[in-house]
Amino acid sequence: MRSSTLDQMADALQRGVEQAQQRGASAAKIRFRQWESNGCSFENGRLKEASASEGLAFDIEVVVDGRKVSVTGNNVDDLREMVERAVTLASMGSVAHFDAYPAPAPVPEVKTFSERAASLPREQMIEGCQGIVDALKRYAPDLFIGAGSGRHRAESLLVTSGGVCHRACETGWGLGAHVQRTRGTDMLMTGYWRGWKDLNELWDPAWITNRILEDLRNGEPIVEAPTGKTTVLLPPEAVSMFLMPITMGVNGRNVAKGESPLRGRLGEQILDPSITLVDNPHVDFANGATEMDADGVPTRVNTLFRAGVLERFLYDLDTAAMVGAEPTGNNGCSPYFLELAPGPQTSDALLAGIEDGLYVKSLIGFGQSNMMNGDVAGNVALGFRIRGGKLTGRVKNTMIAGNVYDLLRANVRLSADRDPVLHMPYAVIEGVSVSAT
Amino acid sequence: MKDRLSEALKKSTADYTEIRYEIEDSTSFGYRGREVDRVSSSKLAGGIVRACTRGGWGMAVFDTLEDLDRQVQEACQAAALVGKEKTELADAAAPTDAHVVARMERDFRGVPLDEKLRLVAHYNDLLLGADPAIETTNCGYSETFRTVYFASSRGAYFMEERPYVVLHFGAVARDGALVQMSHDSVSSATDYGVVQGREALVEETARRAAALLKAPKVEGGTYSVILDQRLGGVFAHEAFGHLSEADFLYENDQMRELMHLGRSMGVKELNIVDDGSLDRYVGTHPYDDEGTPTQKTYLIREGVLVGHLHSLETAAKMGEKPTGNARAIRRGVPPIVRMTNTYIEGGNLSPEELFAGVDRGIYACSMLGGQTMMEQFTFSAAYGYRIENGQKGELIRDIVLTGNVFETLNAIDGFANDFKIIQAGGGCGKGGQAPLPVTFGAPHIRLRAVVVGGK
Repeated sequence: MRSSTLDQMADALQRGVEQAQQRGASAAKIRFRQWESNGCSFENGRLKEASASEGLAFDIEVVVDGRKVSVTGNNVDDLREMVERAVTLASMGSVAHFDAYPAPAPVPEVKTFSERAASLPREQMIEGCQGIVDALKRYAPDLFIGAGSGRHRAESLLVTSGGVCHRACETGWGLGAHVQRTRGTDMLMTGYWRGWKDLNELWDPAWITNRILEDLRNGEPIVEAPTGKTTVLLPPEAVSMFLMPITMGVNGRNVAKGESPLRGRLGEQILDPSITLVDNPHVDFANGATEMDADGVPTRVNTLFRAGVLERFLYDLDTAAMVGAEPTGNNGCSPYFLELAPGPQTSDALLAGIEDGLYVKSLIGFGQSNMMNGDVAGNVALGFRIRGGKLTGRVKNTMIAGNVYDLLRANVRLSADRDPVLHMPYAVIEGVSVSAT
Repeated sequence: MKDRLSEALKKSTADYTEIRYEIEDSTSFGYRGREVDRVSSSKLAGGIVRACTRGGWGMAVFDTLEDLDRQVQEACQAAALVGKEKTELADAAAPTDAHVVARMERDFRGVPLDEKLRLVAHYNDLLLGADPAIETTNCGYSETFRTVYFASSRGAYFMEERPYVVLHFGAVARDGALVQMSHDSVSSATDYGVVQGREALVEETARRAAALLKAPKVEGGTYSVILDQRLGGVFAHEAFGHLSEADFLYENDQMRELMHLGRSMGVKELNIVDDGSLDRYVGTHPYDDEGTPTQKTYLIREGVLVGHLHSLETAAKMGEKPTGNARAIRRGVPPIVRMTNTYIEGGNLSPEELFAGVDRGIYACSMLGGQTMMEQFTFSAAYGYRIENGQKGELIRDIVLTGNVFETLNAIDGFANDFKIIQAGGGCGKGGQAPLPVTFGAPHIRLRAVVVGGK
C-alpha cells in the first residue's frame, strides 16, 4: 500500500477549506480517502483471478450564499482547481438549509480497524476458498462452484470549516461462495457471503460450506408450491431485504419531501409489537460501524421502532435543518447497521410451528416494485415448502407479493437466535400472497 | 498516451497484458420537489492492468500513471500465482492506432449549465403542476464525458471518447398513506438535444403517477400477457440475453449443453439480436474494452439458438468467434461479457390483431426493473391494463412477471409490426458493474400463460 499521506493531506485540506472561505463560501468541508485492497476468486472450482487495488479520492462541499455543491476528484494536484470549480458552481447549487458545519463534539469510540484484518494474507484467502470448493466437490463433483475472498484497509480525513478534523481508519474482509446445480433445464443456485471489520471467529469457511450443503440437500425433491395467502419463514438475510422499504420510510429526506408513507406518524403503532428496530453504528467491527458522519456529526444509536411504535426518523445535517429537527449523524439519512431485536423462540421452534408454509431463502427482483409504498414482489429464487413443521422440498416458478407495512403489522414471530454478522433473527410472517404455476 | 502505455507493457512477463486508462468528467443535478436537491461534479482518472499467465488472471487497479510500471509488474505477478493451465484468448482484428473522437449533433459541453438548469426546472414545474395529487418530484440531469485509452501486449491501441447524457423525471403521487410513483428517462451518446422538447412525455409521466393511486393491484395468477416495446425489450435482455453471455457458460459443461447452438428456443418468427455496432446508440461502440470490433450477433434466428456473446477468453474456450461484448463500466474494473443493443425483431401482426387474440389478459407496459437468475427471470411493469375480449381496459398496478426462460420463449405466439428501440437512462447490472448503458427493443409481443405476482 502507498504509505499514509493523511498527515500531509491535513494541511492541504485545511488550505482548501480556507481557499473556499476566501472565495466567499460560508461553509466548506473536504473529506480525503485513501484505500487499498486485494482479493482472489475461484471459477468452476479453480483459482481464476488475483487482484490488487489502490486509490484515493477527495470530496469537497461548499456553501455560497445559501447554496451548496459537491465536487469529487482523485488527483491531489487538482485540489485547488476543484475547490475553485465548487465555488463557481455553487451559485447554481442546491438550497443549503444549514449555515455552518457543526463544531467539534465528543466522538463515540467505535472499533473499525483491525491489524489482523489489514494483514490478512492472500494465501489465507485462497486457502479458505479452496477449503469450501473441496468440501462441496466431495458432496457433488458436478457442482459449478464459484468462491471469492478479499480484504481492504482504508483511512480518511475530514476537515470542516466548523473546526472538525477527524481521522478514521477501517478494515474489512469478505469470504463467500456460490454454487449452481444444473439438471436439464432445472437450476438450483445458492450461495453465502460473510464479512466483518475484524478477523475473528466469523471467518469460517465451514459455515459457508454447511449452509450451501443444507440448501442442496433440502432442494433435492421439487414439490408443489403453496398458493394464496401463505405463512412464510424468512432467514436473517431475507429479513434484511424485507426491511428495505422501512429503511426508505424512516429516511428523513423521504419524509421531508413527502414521499415516505410514515410522514406525520411518529408515535403511531405501525408494526407488530414484537418489532424493535435500531440503527446501531456503534457495534465494534460491524459492517456499518462508524464514529462520525460526512458532515462532522458524531453518530449515535437510534431506535427507529420500539415495540412496533415509530420513534424516530434519520436525518443528515441538511435535512435536519430543513425540517427543524436534530441531525442524527446519518449520511444521506440512511441507517448504518440495523439490528432487529430477537424474539422468544428458536428458529427451529418457529419452523416446527408451521403446519403449511413457505421458507423463502432468496428472491430475485425484490426491489423492482413500489418499495416506497411498502410494496414488494419477487420470484422465489430458492424456497422450500414447509409441511408439518418440516422442509419437504424445493418450490419453483413461484412469486411472492405483498405490502411490507401490512405484512409486518401483526402476527410477526421473531427467533431468539440472530445472525452474528447481520444481527437479524429469523421471522415468520402471515398472509404473504404466493402465486405459482 | 500510446507511447506511455506501450512502454509500460514492455514490463509485462505474462502471456497477455492490457492496460485501460480513463479520464472522466461529469456533472449532475436534480430537483426533488420544488427545490434543487443536488448539484455535483467530478473529475476522475484511473485504470486497470489485466495480465493472463497460463490461464490465470492478475489485475492491478490504479488511479495515477506515475506507478504504471509497478502496476504492470503487480498484475503479472498475480497472474503467475494463479495460472496453472494454458492461456486461451481468441484472436480479434483489434485496432493498432484508432482515435475515435465523439461526434455530437449538439455537444453538451457547449451548453451553459444555467441553460440546463432552466430546462430541468421547466420539466420539474410540469411534473408538479400535472395533477393536484402530485406530492413531490425527482427530476434530474447528468452528463459524463469519458476518454478511454486501451493498449495490449498484442499491439492493440485505441482511444475513444464516450459522451453520455441522461434526463430522468418522475413524480410521486399521494393519497393518505398510499404512495404511487411514475418515472421515465431518456439518454443519448450523440446529442444534447435528446433532453429537449420532452414536455409531453414529462406530463404524461406525472399524470400516470396520479392515476395509479386509483388503479387496483393486479390479482396474482397465470395470464396471457401482451408486452409493450419497452417491456418486450427488457424481456429480451433479462430473460434471454443474460443467459447467452458466454461467461455464464464457458466453464460450465451443463450450461453449455443447455445453451448449445442449434437448440430450438421458440416459434419460427422469433429472432433476437445483440448489436454493438448499431447506429449511434448508448450501447454502441466501435470496439469493446478488449479492443475487439463490435458486431451484429444473432442469438436466436427463426426460433433456433445460433449465437452467444463473447469476450476473447470465452470465445477461445468455446471454439467460437469473439463478438465484441467485453465491456467495463468504468475505470478500475475488468471487462466482462455484456450486452449492447439487444432486441427482438418485429413481426407481421398489427397491434390490433395481436390484442384480438386475448380474451382475458394483461397489457403490461414500461418497466420498473428486471432481474434474472439463470433460467428464472422476473421483471416489473411500471403499469398495465386489463385486456378483455381483445380490448384494452382498466389501468392496473403492481404487475410483476416471472417464469422460466425456456418455457416463456416458447410461450411467445405473436409479434407486432411496430418494432422500436428504447434508449432510456439507467442500464444493465452484472457483477457489481451497474448501470452500464445499453438499449433494448422489441415490437409488441404476446405471451401465453405467464405467472404474474399480485394480491
